[in-house]
Amino acid sequence: MKKNNKTTPEGTKDFLFEECLTKRSIEKTVSGVFASRGFNEVITPGFEFYDVFDPDLSGIKQESMYKMTDKSGRIVVMRPDLTLPIARLTATRLQNLPKPIRLYYTQPVYRNCPGLSGRRDETTQAGAELLGAGGIRADLEMISTAVAALGGCLPGFRLELGHAGIFRALADRLPVSDDVREDIRVYIETKNYAALDALLNGLEKSETVSAIRKLPHLFGGEDVFEKAAFLGGDSELSPMLNYLHKIYGLISELGFPGRLMVDLGLVQRNSYYTNIVFSAYVEGFGDAVLFGGRYDSLLAYFGSPMPAIGFAVNIDDISEILIRRKMAPGVRPADVLVHGADGYEVNALDHAGSLAKKGLKCENSVFAGEDEAVAYAKACGIKRVDIVGKKIKTVVCCQ
Amino acid sequence: MKPLRIALTKGRLEENALSLFEKVGCDCTAARNKGRKLILPVDGGRFEVVLAKAADVITYVEYGVCDLGIVGKDTILEKGGNFFEVMDLGFGKCKFALAGPVGTDFFGGYSAKTVASKYPHVAGNYFESKAMDVKIIKIEGSVELAPLLGLSDAIVDIVETGTTLKENGLEVIEPICGISARLIVNPASMKLRKMEIESLTEKMEHVCKS
Repeated sequence: MKKNNKTTPEGTKDFLFEECLTKRSIEKTVSGVFASRGFNEVITPGFEFYDVFDPDLSGIKQESMYKMTDKSGRIVVMRPDLTLPIARLTATRLQNLPKPIRLYYTQPVYRNCPGLSGRRDETTQAGAELLGAGGIRADLEMISTAVAALGGCLPGFRLELGHAGIFRALADRLPVSDDVREDIRVYIETKNYAALDALLNGLEKSETVSAIRKLPHLFGGEDVFEKAAFLGGDSELSPMLNYLHKIYGLISELGFPGRLMVDLGLVQRNSYYTNIVFSAYVEGFGDAVLFGGRYDSLLAYFGSPMPAIGFAVNIDDISEILIRRKMAPGVRPADVLVHGADGYEVNALDHAGSLAKKGLKCENSVFAGEDEAVAYAKACGIKRVDIVGKKIKTVVCCQ
Repeated sequence: MKPLRIALTKGRLEENALSLFEKVGCDCTAARNKGRKLILPVDGGRFEVVLAKAADVITYVEYGVCDLGIVGKDTILEKGGNFFEVMDLGFGKCKFALAGPVGTDFFGGYSAKTVASKYPHVAGNYFESKAMDVKIIKIEGSVELAPLLGLSDAIVDIVETGTTLKENGLEVIEPICGISARLIVNPASMKLRKMEIESLTEKMEHVCKS
């Protein structure tokens, strides 16, 4: 019978040498930024109860979760998202800590993506969450942390700001069923202008309908705020727009190697985003590399209501971008190969140890003979071989 | 700036798509005389056109290696994907329909039905919306054969004039939904190259409306 022991499952991969080095180096840079700003690392389990990721709350479809059962037959999933486990953790175990609670993580998430599409089923995200605080300072803190984290690994990116409350407020005013409201949300999310217009044409004319019609077109630079001025008279929407404009202005002052954009039509499937949302894009890559926002109603689901804001960075995507642009760190061969002649094996180990203490990258030869050791060094690009016998002889190898 | 890259669906929609570009003012000579070339400069290199099978147009746009694509709503409904569907271009109009041998009482009785289709997801969603238990068999082409050979009771397929159905002794049992060519855009491209893309789409909209 055929054994599946030679390849990895579709959607997974081994990370080797340069790829592994690049991935770890990005993880280190991003978590370094988080740690330097007082966030504390947490590690959550690889699999959790299905209920933590309730599709109605998370917007993650049941079909895209890797599901199993636990010892009692309850449904357990490989985590498809990291904000929800952190919310669970904070609401149930950290709720009495002084606020704000500042946490970060670097962990893989798992999604059962459609087959034969080249998508990663296992992908690492690094992210930070600020729980128990609302307001402009908290929002600024998180967005600027995102900018710092990305700025440390990518040369140029665009940051996009939006406000999840705008669509929600408008949609709630429409006299339609939840199903129709969801259709409208999808049409705006996919900028399906034709389908949106067709649906709205079937509704009674109103200011709300005309505002929703304009929403997916309202994206771009600061000029979007002028174009959205027609929403200014609205008592619910006006403060949201003004807030977004204020944050836009403050972030512009930050001055980062990238540009700022706005999209009022950002209507994420995650119904847990309530206010500000933000994402980042890079030239030449078809997807966002960072996504986040404020989710003030989420922790109530887990039993401890408190405002919260966070974001995640797609480490593997950034890794791929850097490698493609040939900006990734290369794997360096060892500086020295230390070979012990017969009877001098332990002396060789000592010598290698002392070289390592001086900061040299040292390999210990596993070969019986000197010639084999030198041949190996040449093949691996190791430029120096120290032969340890009664004396230490250094051989310099050139390619 | 790199030229905007547009993926066009080969075949049925190709001619209309190129006409549309010409009406917008783009020189498509290279695209019309392509020979064996696969990436074709349009309008003196301002755009690049790629010709691909419908499902591949979606794949290229999803991954962002093409910024825009022209593809039928039939493929979009069958395959889905993560992109912005910004315009109904109005050409390539036809519809999805449930069709079967003339005189079939498809909805009668409780026995399980079998339906053949080149679009199994579209067929599946249609029957799910009716809470009907139907066995769906994927057929790659000439789907009309399936009921004639006795493989299925009916088919879900694209219908234009209905002539093919009629010639094979089949008729429309129930129409499902209308289809036409759509303009799709990669979300990152839309955000990063908004002005160029909007300038093109505005011109296209103007031509389509007139």
